[in-house]
Amino acid sequence: MKTDVAVIGTGLSALAAARTIQQSGRQVVLVWPGLSSLYFLFATVDVLGYPTADATEPVADPGGAVARLIEREPTHPYARAGIDAVRAGTQLMLEWFKQAGLAWEGGLDRNFLLPTATGTPKPCCLAPASMTNGDLSRPEPIVLCGFTGYQDFAPELAASNLKRQWSAAEVSAVRVTAPGYGPDRLFTSVDLARSFEDATFRDAVAAQLRERLSGDTVRVGVPGVLGLTTPNKTFAAFQRAVGHPIFEIPTVPPSVIALRLFDRLRKHLQESGIEIIWSAPAHAAQVTDGRCRNILLKAAGHELPIEAAAYVVALEDWVDGAFRAGVHTVRDPFFHRPLAWNKVPTDRTAESLFSTQPFEQVGYALTERLQPADENGKAIAQNVFCAGGAIAGYDPSGTKSRGGMAIATGYRAAREALAA
Amino acid sequence: MITEEFEPATDTVEEEASVEACTKCTACNTVCPVARSTDIFRGPKALGPDMERFRSPQEAAVTPGLDLCSGCKLCEVTCPSQVSIQEYIRRAQNQGAREKGRSLRDWVLGRTRLLGKLGSMTAPLANFGNSNPLFRLLMERFVGIHRRRPLPKYQWLTFERWFKRHSHGNSLPRSRGRVRVGARRKVAYFYGCWVNYNDRRLGERAVAILERNGIEVIVPSQQCCGIPAVVNSNMDLARRYGQQNVRRLTPVAQEMDIVASSTSCGLMLKHDYGHLLDIPGSERLGAKTYDIMEYLWMLHEAGELDTDFQTVPMRLLYHAPCHLKSHGIGYPAMRLLRLIPGVNLEEVDEGCCGISGTFGVKVEKYDLSMKIGSRLFEAVKAAGSDYVLADCETCRMQVEHGAGAISAHPLEILARAYGHG
Repeated sequence: MKTDVAVIGTGLSALAAARTIQQSGRQVVLVWPGLSSLYFLFATVDVLGYPTADATEPVADPGGAVARLIEREPTHPYARAGIDAVRAGTQLMLEWFKQAGLAWEGGLDRNFLLPTATGTPKPCCLAPASMTNGDLSRPEPIVLCGFTGYQDFAPELAASNLKRQWSAAEVSAVRVTAPGYGPDRLFTSVDLARSFEDATFRDAVAAQLRERLSGDTVRVGVPGVLGLTTPNKTFAAFQRAVGHPIFEIPTVPPSVIALRLFDRLRKHLQESGIEIIWSAPAHAAQVTDGRCRNILLKAAGHELPIEAAAYVVALEDWVDGAFRAGVHTVRDPFFHRPLAWNKVPTDRTAESLFSTQPFEQVGYALTERLQPADENGKAIAQNVFCAGGAIAGYDPSGTKSRGGMAIATGYRAAREALAA
Repeated sequence: MITEEFEPATDTVEEEASVEACTKCTACNTVCPVARSTDIFRGPKALGPDMERFRSPQEAAVTPGLDLCSGCKLCEVTCPSQVSIQEYIRRAQNQGAREKGRSLRDWVLGRTRLLGKLGSMTAPLANFGNSNPLFRLLMERFVGIHRRRPLPKYQWLTFERWFKRHSHGNSLPRSRGRVRVGARRKVAYFYGCWVNYNDRRLGERAVAILERNGIEVIVPSQQCCGIPAVVNSNMDLARRYGQQNVRRLTPVAQEMDIVASSTSCGLMLKHDYGHLLDIPGSERLGAKTYDIMEYLWMLHEAGELDTDFQTVPMRLLYHAPCHLKSHGIGYPAMRLLRLIPGVNLEEVDEGCCGISGTFGVKVEKYDLSMKIGSRLFEAVKAAGSDYVLADCETCRMQVEHGAGAISAHPLEILARAYGHG
């Protein structure tokens, strides 16, 4: 199959790259197997939450803080992407969200501080409008609401954690029952999200909740399950029925908030004629004379070559199977080069779960133009560009910068691909 | 210092995903059309990789709801770790049927070719019976075929016999058949039971389109692909059919490509013979098999497709069959049809239609099958179109039944653009 640019991946960096290429009027195809890494990694877009992984004070102005980071660390992937890509990429995505019917809020001038499912305040730059009532810079007291039998959100745990870290107002926890979900039923956030689209179910939950709430100013945090395919409508109807400001809190996978984002953007691309081949892993790149001639997809029965003028490798790290780890090496799926080598397999992990993990740092070394580089810093192929979590040497979890990095590098890699 | 004995070159990297590769992310459950439509079904994660740990060749660990897996394979398409989720469920279903025995209905439904032979031989009678309310009531009571499910019409003249007439006995490879002067390529057509017994016209279209592009079409002797047997938990029968096809078609595949116009038949030849059914040597056949739309697109990219199309001023909706997604080739039909002037084509992206071959025919699964398809039906009704296109025949049946739309294989539109009716 032939196209102008092939984007490998379907996560946030891949979507940002695809959108950039689409806006330039060129043809683009997305390839990668499985549900995108968006589903695992993103409910909000975090541009920069903390200046360093061990900082405790969150960043107030993510745009400015990224500019300062670039000055401080000229080899950081943000510096490779450039501050212009951070700004233009963020703008592009916000406009796209709007056009695709996703209600999102935020900008590079400020961070929200939103509670997580375990009750930790987390700085986020862009967030769905259904989450922003939870902003901890606001003074209203919070009631966290869980559902009996639902295992992925414990309101008591979240409330006690949040109380310790946020002293502006009262935090309490309630549990209500979800009609039709008996003790024998094993269910996930996706099941609840589908049920919430039904008015009878929604109103029954709202009625229980109204009874348990006291005080006019209180706002209610619920796990992110308010609708899957019609979230805007479902959220508004539920908030009206409860009579208090509502905010959603993202859950562990299956994360409904992430699914909504991925599904909507994917459909929006497909509606405008962009093809996504999402059951064939790419497992080889044919490089001759310093250029990638094609990549090979493992389709059913045979190899499907994708031939493009340029390629964007936009994989989001380990969760979407970007890298192949053996006992001693980690290799990339295209050039099959060792990205990391260790004598002892435990070298890849840190002693403490909460410290920076060496495996997070594994990835492609890059040239100035975001091309994967060899040991001497030279591009492996002139027309291949890298974006997102597959880039080596940074810690997206510690600094809360995965989303911003994905968008900035996706945008910049796409620009380079268009020029190649 | 045991670690120093290893060199990086001897490092092992697992290429084939096993049950251990499942990270329990539940991505599969979120897309499963059955799980979204009934809470009895515990979802592909639980019934596939989770339960697999408790299964052995001797014990199937058949759990309630296992037979509700319709086999759409969307779980496998969605799995970020490429676990063969559906194959685990399939094997367990098969083992369960082996232990408990199969119903007469499932025995019959697995033998599409036998049904087709009987149906086409007695075509007027069979078609009368299949649309007669009293007969259908009896069929529901005694056989277990839901009375409201429209059954395909049989035709007296099979595709095989039509093709013999068409090509004057050119049905065997390397036979004394007519050799087309100037034919650049040769392909073998795997028509499948549907084209042979129910929709000969589609086969005629396929042959006409290929011949129009200067390709000589061969129709080798073939057996049912085996998918009806697989979905009716009779993998031994499916394997037997598959082995026959591998034996007959592998020599053909050494000389030419094979094209299939049915999505699921094509997937069996390409993938399931080698994986699900473990048929030795089937990879060589699979590597030469193409979906017909995939093949025509390749022809286009090679600059060999005749694109001298007539205008087809039509509003078309495209429904991508679940099994087409498993091919991992994208949607070649959409790419091809967008080359035709006048065509207004949109995808109706509402997931599984619900019929899954013979699944939605069964009395106990009909309602579920209609519930699964309801999103698609609504979207089709709301959009309005001249045709709803789908590469898979049972998807077409379901869309016609559920949405009251007219459906067609994408080839029909291509044939129209070439001036065939």
